[in-house]
Amino acid sequence: MVFDFAPVITYFPTLLKGVGVGSLVAIAVALMSIIGGLVVAVISIYTKKVVSWPLRFFIWLFMTTPLLLQLYFLYFGLGEWILIPAIVVGILGLGFHYMAYNADIFIATIKSVSDGQYEASRSLGFGHWNTILYIIVPQAFIRSIPQLGNNMILMVKDTSVLSAIGVAELVYASQYAISVSFRPFEFFMVIALMYYVINILMELGQAWLERRTAYRR
Amino acid sequence: MDFDLMVEVTPLLIRAAWVTIDISSRAIFFGFFVACGLVFLQTFRFAPIRWFARGYISVIRGTPYFVQLLLVFYGGPSLGLRLDPITCGVVVGAFNIGAYMSEAIRGSIESVDKGQSEAARSLGFGKVQTMVSIVLPQAASLMIRSVGVLAIVLIKNSSLVSIISVVELTYQAQRLIGSTYKPLEIFTLSALMYIIIIYAVMGIIELAYRRATRYTTQ
Repeated sequence: MVFDFAPVITYFPTLLKGVGVGSLVAIAVALMSIIGGLVVAVISIYTKKVVSWPLRFFIWLFMTTPLLLQLYFLYFGLGEWILIPAIVVGILGLGFHYMAYNADIFIATIKSVSDGQYEASRSLGFGHWNTILYIIVPQAFIRSIPQLGNNMILMVKDTSVLSAIGVAELVYASQYAISVSFRPFEFFMVIALMYYVINILMELGQAWLERRTAYRR
Repeated sequence: MDFDLMVEVTPLLIRAAWVTIDISSRAIFFGFFVACGLVFLQTFRFAPIRWFARGYISVIRGTPYFVQLLLVFYGGPSLGLRLDPITCGVVVGAFNIGAYMSEAIRGSIESVDKGQSEAARSLGFGKVQTMVSIVLPQAASLMIRSVGVLAIVLIKNSSLVSIISVVELTYQAQRLIGSTYKPLEIFTLSALMYIIIIYAVMGIIELAYRRATRYTTQ
C-alpha cells in the first residue's frame, strides 16, 4: 500500500478541464432549473387543470424516479431520432430533474405569500398577471432561497453522475488517466477533495446569500 | 407502445427490482447502526472523538455518493479492501446514509424540549432511562418522517450502483433499452417499479408514524 500522487499531478490539467466542464454544466443547469422551475410553478398554480395537471404529473414523475434512469431514457430515447452531444443531454436531464424539485419549492412558497398581498395589489390597480409577476413571485423567490441553495448544492454533486452518459466532467475526465496510471484510489481521493472544496464554498455562498436576504423574509 | 415487449421484459425487471430492494434495505438497516454510532460519538466529552464524527459527517455530505462508490470499489483494492459489487453498494450506501441519518436523529432528539429531560432527571430517572423512556418516544414522530425521507433518497440513489455493474433496476433498464431500442416502454415499466417501491416505503413510514404518535394529542 504505497500512495503515489505523481500521476495525479501529471494529469492535473485534465482534471481541471473536467472541473471547467462540470462548472459550465452546473451553471447552465442552475439557470434552467431555477427559471424553468419558477415558470412551471406559476403555470401549475394559476392555470386551468388541463394545463396544470400534466405539469404536476411531470413534477411528480421526476421526483419519484432516479436521476440515472431519467438520464438513460433521455440519452437513448432522444438518440433514436436525433444525434445530440452528451453534454446537451446531460444539461437537459439534470435541468429537468432539478426543475421539478425547484418547482415543488416554488409552489409551496408562492402559496405561502399571503392572499392579502394579491388583494391589495389588485385594488391598487395591478392586473392579475402583473400582480403575480411583480408582487407575488418576488416575495416567493426570496423565501425560496434557502431551499434553492440546498437543491443547487445537491445538483453540483449530481453532476458527477453525468459521467455515466459520457459528459466530460471531473469523474469522466479522470477515467483515461486512471486507466493509464492504475491509481484509482489517489485520483478518486483528489476528485472527492475537489468536490468537497466546491461544496464548502457553495455552503459559504448560501449562508452569505441567506444573511443578505434575511431582512426581506 | 409495444405491449408484447412490455409483458416479455416484466419478469426481468421484477427480478432486477428485487436486487434494488435487497441492496437498499440492507444499506438502510446497517446505515441506521452507523447513524446511531455517529450520534453516540458526538456525545463524548473527549473533543477529538466529537471532531472525528463531525468531520466524517461533513465529508460524506460534502462529496458525491457516486464518487464515494467509485472510490471504494476501484480504489479500495489498493488498500487491500476487495468487495464484490453488491457488498460494495451496501457498504457505501450504509456509510453514506448513516451520515445523513445521524443528523436527522440528532435533530429530532434536540427538538425535544430540554425541560423534559431535566424534569425526568429530577424525578430520579437515570440518564439512559431518561433517553429511552422520555426523550426518544417524543423524538420518534419527527425522527420517523426525516429518516423515511432519507430512505427514499437512498432507494433512488441505489440506481448509481449500476455503474459498478450490479444488475439492479436501472442497470437492467439501460441494458434492455440498449438491446430493444424501445426506451419509452422500458422507462415506463422501470419507473413504475420505482414508484411502487417508493410508495410502499412511504406507506410503511406512515404506519410507523401513526403508531409512534398514537398516544399524542395534536
